[in-house]
Amino acid sequence: MNSRSKYVWAYFMIAPTLIGTLVFWGWPVVQSILLGFQHSSNFGTVNHWVGFDNYVKLVHDQEFWQNLRNTLLYVAMFVPVTLVLSTLFAVLLNTKVKGVSLYRVIFFLPQVTMPAAAAMVWVVLFAKDFGLINHLLGTHVAWLSNGNYAMIVLVIVGVWGAIGMNMLLVLAGLQGIPKSLYEAADIDGAKRFNKFRFITIPMLTPTLFFTSIILLIGATQIFDSIYLIIGKTNVALPSVRSLVYAYYQNSFIYNDRNYGASIINVLLMINLALTGIQFAFQKKWVYYD
Amino acid sequence: MQTFFHLNNKACNLKKGAFKAVIHIDYTKHVKRQHNLHLRKFLPKHSNSLGGCQMVKRNKFSFMLVAVMMVLSLITAACGNNSNNSSNNKPSNKPDNSASNNAGEATEAPKKNVTLTYAIWDKIQQPAMEAIATEFTAQNPNIKVKVEVIPWGDYWTKMSAAAPAGTLPDVFWMHGGQFATYASGKFLEPITSKVEAGEIDLNNYAANLASIYTLNGENYGIPKDFDTIGLAYNKELFDQAGIAYPDDTWTYAKLAEVAKQLSQPDKGIYGFGAKMDTQTGYWNDILANGGKIIADDMSKSGYDDPASIEALQARYQMTVDGASPTHQQMTDMEATEMFKSGKLAMIFDGSWRISDIDSSDIIKGKWDWAKLPMGKVKRANIINGLGNVMAASGKNKEEAWQFLKFLGSQKAAEITAQMGAAIPAFNGTQDAWLTSRPYLNLKVFTEQVGDATPYPSGSMAYPVWFAKEPEIMSQAWGGAISVEEAAKKVAEMMNQAIADTK
Repeated sequence: MNSRSKYVWAYFMIAPTLIGTLVFWGWPVVQSILLGFQHSSNFGTVNHWVGFDNYVKLVHDQEFWQNLRNTLLYVAMFVPVTLVLSTLFAVLLNTKVKGVSLYRVIFFLPQVTMPAAAAMVWVVLFAKDFGLINHLLGTHVAWLSNGNYAMIVLVIVGVWGAIGMNMLLVLAGLQGIPKSLYEAADIDGAKRFNKFRFITIPMLTPTLFFTSIILLIGATQIFDSIYLIIGKTNVALPSVRSLVYAYYQNSFIYNDRNYGASIINVLLMINLALTGIQFAFQKKWVYYD
Repeated sequence: MQTFFHLNNKACNLKKGAFKAVIHIDYTKHVKRQHNLHLRKFLPKHSNSLGGCQMVKRNKFSFMLVAVMMVLSLITAACGNNSNNSSNNKPSNKPDNSASNNAGEATEAPKKNVTLTYAIWDKIQQPAMEAIATEFTAQNPNIKVKVEVIPWGDYWTKMSAAAPAGTLPDVFWMHGGQFATYASGKFLEPITSKVEAGEIDLNNYAANLASIYTLNGENYGIPKDFDTIGLAYNKELFDQAGIAYPDDTWTYAKLAEVAKQLSQPDKGIYGFGAKMDTQTGYWNDILANGGKIIADDMSKSGYDDPASIEALQARYQMTVDGASPTHQQMTDMEATEMFKSGKLAMIFDGSWRISDIDSSDIIKGKWDWAKLPMGKVKRANIINGLGNVMAASGKNKEEAWQFLKFLGSQKAAEITAQMGAAIPAFNGTQDAWLTSRPYLNLKVFTEQVGDATPYPSGSMAYPVWFAKEPEIMSQAWGGAISVEEAAKKVAEMMNQAIADTK
């Protein structure tokens, strides 16, 4: 079999995914970029080119900068916390404890819970007057309507939801580490912490690198928990509103698809830049054998 | 058969290649033996060696299975579409006009079966709308109508996506504020020719309501109903406090005073639901206080009018004084729901909520309606009328028109009235509505038509500013900025929206 027909066959095999991605992902991206340079009326049936007008408006929009700050703040809190906790739990669950699979299930449960249902439960837990969390802490904090606390609530809910999947990824990475390395370390008389520090961590870096990129991209796109937990008439909304939420608001509530597109295009650039930076820096810390 | 086998072989080779790749990525080169052991776990027990004969066969088989299933699902999906087309709709290869000709001229000819979609946003009116649809199907057995409820919060989001996609429902509810956008975009089917042909008489509807759904001399909609605002009160809470029920003599000052007397925050009971709302909230206050929502010619916001700001402040003050639940409380639980559970003594609400409020077992028989209080300047009210419209993109327009005409008929108005769903727009049918619930003082709604100002939606800017308004006002109701500041911000935003859509 020559290599050429091999490739044709391979492309045929990935065609369902490739076509799906191009139609449902690629084309909308192209459209969003175009929309950002247009002014549309009548629900996008009439479009005029307006150059950078939408972006000029964006730069002068105080709300946009606030939304950008909110998004970056969320990312800065959510990604490290999730990464550290996922790794920690994965290491703990990788040991031979009784009922370890039960714990794995428990940690994975948020992943299979309906986000809307979970959000409703969190709203009740964090309620000011009758919420369990205020009751346990003995506080009387307006978790959901005070801007500073609302951001923390979003991070907590986000981390809770993300740990399961990422823990599983790290766990898979852990199990891919050859036992012989630990055996060799045992023979050399290495301590437990040193084994973790000098074998587990380096061997885990490719997984951590992958996980951090996925987490980062996911975190910049936070929307659903703001929509479900904070809500549009909440006084705290301006201090937690993310770029994607602003995009939703402009595109679908205010019906200004063009301004919405310009917001989302900025986010696309940010994500490309952040991922690029991560790839550039991976040589410094990711260990591929 | 030869090629078939060949294909399989290729697939097999690829699979082997894939396994190699996995080994290469996931397992370090250090200890080969252990990798093999590790991998073995994933293999069937009886497979002797990696990439051995049995495994190859297995892969071949499963691959074929997947391929066959994919093909099958494609075929069945296509079949499903075909059968749908032939049973529910006209065969897709026939031109549109042949079908409408059939229905128009030759009523004898066998009619095709059609299912229309009728989209509405009020779940409370669903039973009445379904009753009308059933009645219509009884008269036109070939046309079925599916009533689809999309909550107000999502309704216009969905419609704005459906309009350019050409998937608007055949017939749907229209709101005065959204009308201009849809009509000017040519998404609605004009009915002018039908009106001129005398198929329907727009003079049958109260208060010139049909004019709301007219743009550049073209008629697009048939008035469905109108609504005004009333003051609902809980008799039991008034009796317990020994206070006389609200009546025509009440002023806003009296309302605030009684609301304070009736409040028992420790029991979670409040006198008045001073909700952050426009149509069933402060728009009435603003007008009664001599302020303006928007200039009469829609050219300028009235939110920064001192009388408007004063009215807004008075309402907000009640949430601070404990005469009303706080904004946060009313966000957690809608004020009307609090009233339904007997926690609120008074609330402003629209005539479209009557059957909803009356459905509460807690306050059933213990509540009634009064007119809105007198303000400094006058007794005010907001009147709005919904219309039924049909989509320009509909596939069964002739049938849709038949249904639209029926929705505008006296019969449909009577069903609406008898079921107490809304005050029908059709002249002479309102009396049936007044007696739909004889134990309630429903005439406040028809009597207040004289005091009422039309809902301020007749401009292209309305959908823009109306969407942004609650976000700014919620900052004031939540206590983050002052009411005056919020009102001025809203005014600025509205004026900007008006300028942008000129």
